Formats: sequence, structure tokens, C-alpha cells
Amino acid sequence: MVRSQRELARTAGLGRRGNRGHRETAIGIVLLICASISILTTFAVILVLARETFGFFADPAVTVWEFLTAREWTPLFAESQRRFGISPLLLGTMLVTTIALVVGLPMGLGAAIFLSEFSSARVRRTAMPVLEVFAGIPTVVLGYFALLFVTPILQEIVPGLKFFNPLSAGLVMAFMILPTVSSISIDSMQAVPRALREAAYGLGATKFEVVTKVVVPAALSGIVASFILAMSRAIGETMIVTLAAGQRPTFTFDPRETIATMTSFIVQAATGDQPAGSLASRSLFAVGATLFAMTLALNIISQQVVRRFGERYE
Amino acid sequence: MNTSARQSSGSAVETRLLLGDREHTKLVARKRRGAAFRMVTFIPVVLAVILILALLADVTLNSISWQVVEPRGSGQTFAWVEGFRGFGTWGRVVRLELAAQGLSAQEVEALFADSDELRKFRARNRVELMWSANGQPWRWVVANSRDRREEDYGLFTGLRNRSALLEGLEEGQNLYLNPWLDLSFFRKNASRTPIMAGLVSALFGTLWVIGLVILISLPVAVGTAIYLEEYAPDNTYTRFLEVNLRNLAGVPSIVYGILGLSVFVRLARIGPTVLAAALTLSLLILPVVVIAAREAIRAVPDSLRQASYGLGATRWQTVSRVVLPNAVNGIVTGMILAVARAIGETAPLLLIGAAAFVPRLPDGPLSTYTVIPIQIFSWISENDPEFQHVASAGIITLLGVLFLLYAFAFVVRRRFERHW
Repeated sequence: MVRSQRELARTAGLGRRGNRGHRETAIGIVLLICASISILTTFAVILVLARETFGFFADPAVTVWEFLTAREWTPLFAESQRRFGISPLLLGTMLVTTIALVVGLPMGLGAAIFLSEFSSARVRRTAMPVLEVFAGIPTVVLGYFALLFVTPILQEIVPGLKFFNPLSAGLVMAFMILPTVSSISIDSMQAVPRALREAAYGLGATKFEVVTKVVVPAALSGIVASFILAMSRAIGETMIVTLAAGQRPTFTFDPRETIATMTSFIVQAATGDQPAGSLASRSLFAVGATLFAMTLALNIISQQVVRRFGERYE
Repeated sequence: MNTSARQSSGSAVETRLLLGDREHTKLVARKRRGAAFRMVTFIPVVLAVILILALLADVTLNSISWQVVEPRGSGQTFAWVEGFRGFGTWGRVVRLELAAQGLSAQEVEALFADSDELRKFRARNRVELMWSANGQPWRWVVANSRDRREEDYGLFTGLRNRSALLEGLEEGQNLYLNPWLDLSFFRKNASRTPIMAGLVSALFGTLWVIGLVILISLPVAVGTAIYLEEYAPDNTYTRFLEVNLRNLAGVPSIVYGILGLSVFVRLARIGPTVLAAALTLSLLILPVVVIAAREAIRAVPDSLRQASYGLGATRWQTVSRVVLPNAVNGIVTGMILAVARAIGETAPLLLIGAAAFVPRLPDGPLSTYTVIPIQIFSWISENDPEFQHVASAGIITLLGVLFLLYAFAFVVRRRFERHW
């Protein structure tokens, strides 16, 4: 009787409890290892960047002071003409990013307000994917578009515009960041509770007043977070600037000049034949570390904004 | 003041009765301001649509050009019916051309029998269907790499000046409308001559890289998602994992390129190969897939899990037989979207040494490779303006592939969507 009961239990898959326990633990460990790969990635990025950047600054030809203050960046030149001041690259990045943000943020916010507050649900369902298309177009295609379509048109309008310039790169980038801004902003505006809107209407506000004085302020944390995230994406964007803005580090505020950004310099240094461990190759990592630090800081700030200033409606 | 402020249509008269003159003018002004604002917010949407259409139109127009060609071959063209033989079209048109050059039937067959000679011939000649401007539309042409292409015009410029162009033709020259995106574009390898350049090595490179990316990133991403949703205890490590994933999603793709360059290419000595590219891109899309998979897993209702536990299932049995089958739709959709992103990714691959000029197909994870976006990038950077047309043809192909993927994701989501 006992024996047959055990057999019954075994056929039902219940008898191997100990066995099952081992398997469960093993699976849990495997899954933990999978999850830890992302942490390994972060550590690897930081380690790689830190090691090569320290190597860069340890070289007698480079000083931290020069890196921060000099206005020339020519690490790929012959030894006697090399200068290591990152400011032209930072300035180039800032120039493109500023143009992209000045154009892209109002447009993204405007589109978000229209789609969240003014349009019918049907229009929203068709228009949202169209905006998302910009997020899906490979940036090399956008770079082609900036270089061969936007620049020739701009050259007709803007006198003295170089063939490679941050203006067209920035304008096309504005459309690249548009879906980032609008989708996050729409989410946060949709999260504003109906009661707030109804209360404002009840006080006699028009739709315009409800949107600008109630909905947008209430969703401000999400909107600001989307702005910061868009900025981080613009700073890290590579192909548009590499193709359309040029690869000549220039210390200038003029958006018509050919410039180089941090990302386009990294591409330039990596596609040339710089032997590993050379100073020119290490300069790539120093710039990469600066880029990584900037985007990471922006991402963390954007998350903090949501957490600290996000209004919760329960 | 009453609620009529909210309903804008047809309430003007009603409002009049309740408000004084001054209040009424103010209300009209407020509403007008609102309508203007609505228009202003509508502009970006319109602009975005216009820009997308402009991009598509530009790429399409740029993939077609009028060319004045001075052929090195027989200079003859062949009618569509004469040349078309289905899969045998290439051989048929080449035979016609060689006969027109004055070779005898035996010589032609000798060339076709000699595989070495045939390969050389293939590398220098391209069979194309071109619009010939001198009264005989759509003719087969054997384009030779040594043809002199005198002039190159855009579609509309060529149309406008067509008669002048035709008159300006010298002896032995021809005016063709050349569609750069044709079948031979998908059969040709990389080349220094624009007319001989094709996408085949890049297509196979992309297939290899993306295949490996799916193999590597899908199990890791799903494993991570399962761990975080079903297994992870609420401790510091888990919270660190989550914050870390969110931050990784915001790291610029070029930084992954730097990582791949120093860890996979140099440290692990994999070199600039398909495997290095696949590993780098897998890390790049990992956060995106994990986030999508987590959402899919979270959408499976708890009642299903509890029912499974109630039947005596272990955690893994519940996950593998109840949770995953119900989340597979979301996971697959997320994976397709991530793959679409990986296919278009250029910057990290530039860093880890995807060569632009790869004259042969990749034959394994450890062979050199090129991918579609890298090929496009190198074509755009070429000095010869004819390469712009080749780049456009490549871009149309890339956008076509992405469109198919997005459509597929859309269908998967629609078809297999579950409502609880």
C-alpha cells in the first residue's frame, strides 16, 4: 500500500521534491547571472574609460590644465603640433545640441500638447506612430538627409554657410529628439487627473487656460525630465554630426562654420589607423569618458527630477 | 459666469444674455487665443509629416539619374522581350552583348564554360534595365566598369534639359535614365566604381550580425526580466540592478562602440569580426529588450500565477509554463523593435572596425564583415557624386527592411494580443 502510494506520487511528479528544489536553486542562479550581465557592462564601460583616460593624462605631453583650458584640439596631428584642449569639441557639441534643443523642445512640447489635449483619439492614434517614425529612422539616414537635402537648401538662405555645418545637423537632430520629448510629455500630461481639469473648467477657464495653467504645470516634472533626456540624446548622437557637421575642431560660436563634436571626433579617431595605446588612440577614450560622464549625469538628473518633483495623484 | 465658457460652439448668444458687454469681449478674446494656440501646437505635427515625406521623396529621387554614357562594349541595347528570361536573364543579355561585340557563338560558350573568366566578367559588367532616351524605352544594357560616364543629372534636371542633352550627345554616346536600385544592386559586392557597387556583402553581414544578436541577447534579456519580475528579492542589489538598467538605456551608442573596441576586439582578441559586432550590439539593445520583456511579464495577471502555485507547481514551472507563454507576444514585439534599432546602428560598428570594403561574404562568426548602414555611410563619404545615388539605393533598402520589421511587430501585437 505504501509502496503503491509512492509510485502514484512519482508518476504525478510529486515525489522528487528534493530534486526539484536543486533545480529551482540552479535556475535562480542562472537567472541572477543573466541579470548581472548588465551590471558587468556598466563596470566594464567605467573601467575601460577610466584606465585609458588615466593613461592619457599620465602621458607627459598632456596636462589636465591644458585639457580643460586650451582652445585647440589636434591630437591626430604630428607630435610637434599636437594640442589637447577639449573646449572646441565641447563647444561644437554644445552648438549642435543648443540648435537641436531650441528647435526641438518647443516643437516636441507643442506636438505633445496638441496630441494629448486638443486632438481626437483617432488623430492621436494615427499621428503618434508618425512622430515615432523619427525615432525609428537610422541616424545615418538622417545624416544623409541633413548633408544632401537640408544643407543645400540652407545655403540658399544663409549666406556664408559651409558645406559641413552644425546648423543643418542641429535642425535635423531637432526632429530626431521630437518623439523623445513628445511621448514622455504626453504620458505625463495624460497622468494629470481628470478632477483637476474639471475643477478648472468649473471655475470658467477656457480649454487654452486649462492646458497652459493646469495641465502643463501639473505635468511639469515629466516634461522637464523629457527635455533633459532629449538633451542627453542630442549630446550622444553621432552619425548626424559626423556626416553633416564636419570633423574639424574649431573654437567658434558661429553655426555656419565647420566644427567637430565629441562624438564625431571619436569616429574620426577610431576610423583612422591609430595604434592601440598610442596617445592619439587614448585621446579617443578621454573624450569618450567626458561624453559618458555628461550623458550619465543628465540621465540621473532626469530621473531625480521625476522622483523629487513628480506630483503623485492617488 | 457659467459653464458655457467650456462649450465653445453655439453658445455665443446664450453667453451674451448672461454676461455684460465687457465680459463678453474678454471671453471672445480668450477663446480666440485658445484657438490660435491650438493651431500653433498643430504646426510641429504637420512639420514632422512634411519632413518625413521630404526625406522619402529626396531618397527616391536621388536613386534615379540621367547619365550620358560612352560605352566600352558594343554600345548596343536590347529590347525587354529579347533579354528577359526569368532567372536566365543575366546569361541571355550577356550572350546578346558578346555577340554584338563580334564574338562567335563558340567563343561565347567558352567564356561561359570557364568559371574563372566568367567571375572576372561578372566583376566588371553589370546587366541593367535602363530607360534609353533615344526613342527606345526600357532596354537591357550591359554596363561595363570602364564605361565613361560623362555627365550625371537628377531626374527633373534631366527631364527639363532632355532635348539639349540629346542634341549634345557625341558619336558613340548614349543618354540613359539609370535606376540605381535594381536587381543587380543586390547581386554586386562592394566596389570602387559606383556603377559596380552593390549591397550583397552588406546584406549577408547584417543577416549574420543580427542572427547572432538575437541568439545572444534574447536569452540574457528574458532571463534578466524573469529574475527581476519573478525571482528578485527586494534588496539593495535588485534596486541597483534596476537603476543600472535604466541608466544603461541612456548611454550613447558610441560608448558601447568604445566598450566593444577595447573589450571584445582588443582584450578578448576577437578582432573586427561578426562576433565582436554581435556582442557589442547585444549589450546595446539589452536594456531595451529587458524593459519590454518586463512589461510583458508584468502584464500577466497574478491570478494565473496563483492558480499555478495552487496546483503545486514550483516557481520555475509557473514561469516557464504559465507566465512566459502568456508574455511571449510582448517579448517578441519588443525584440523585433530592438532588432530594428540594431540593424540601423552605425556608430558603434564604425568603432569596432566594420570595414566598408568587404569584397566577399562573411562565412562564420569570425569573419570580417560589413553591414548595410556602414556601407551607406561609406558611400555618402565617397568623393564621387555618383556614389550618392548608390547611397540612396542603400537607404531605400534599409528603410524597406525596417518598415517590414515594424509592420511585422505591429501584426504580432495585433494578432496575438491578449486581454485579461
